[in-house]
Amino acid sequence: MAKTIKWEKNFERALTRSRAENKMVMLDFFNPN
Amino acid sequence: MGAVTYPNEKVVEFIERHMVPIQVLFDSQPLAAKFNIQWTPTVITLDEEGKEHHRTVGFLSPEEFIPSLMLGLTKCHFDRGKFNEAIEMSEKILKDYPKSDAAPEAVYVRGVALCKSTHSADPLKEAYKRLMAEYPSSEWAKRAQPYRLL
Repeated sequence: MAKTIKWEKNFERALTRSRAENKMVMLDFFNPN
Repeated sequence: MGAVTYPNEKVVEFIERHMVPIQVLFDSQPLAAKFNIQWTPTVITLDEEGKEHHRTVGFLSPEEFIPSLMLGLTKCHFDRGKFNEAIEMSEKILKDYPKSDAAPEAVYVRGVALCKSTHSADPLKEAYKRLMAEYPSSEWAKRAQPYRLL
């Protein structure tokens, strides 16, 4: 089964993970239409 | 992006290794206002404090998106004075994606990071020469023109 991106949906949680994992945040604004 | 770039295996692996990905609707508040989102897709590279260092607007293929993310990481490091890390990531762009749109800016940022870390102007002139040799029509070759006089 192909791997997919595991998106965060909560901004504060993404920042918390960023600090804990020493990774930068990739914030994608998308339009589903 | 959702149909072509995000399902790409190399894109998934790069993001998993280097980034914390978050996806929100284009009109999701307060983020859309905070980052002044006017069009999609808009992809922004942030540091752990939520400060923006790089953004792209519009579709990018996997071959352009990965080096664009790498440029975002380069600029995160550079903006925070981590010049060795910025140099290392910019060199990876130039090694792995030399024909990408991110490559000319990587040459420029690498030159400036080397200048700031070595306190020598020589890397700026070298960046100018490389830009003129390899990316003469890029905007970054134009921006580096003053360095020819160093």
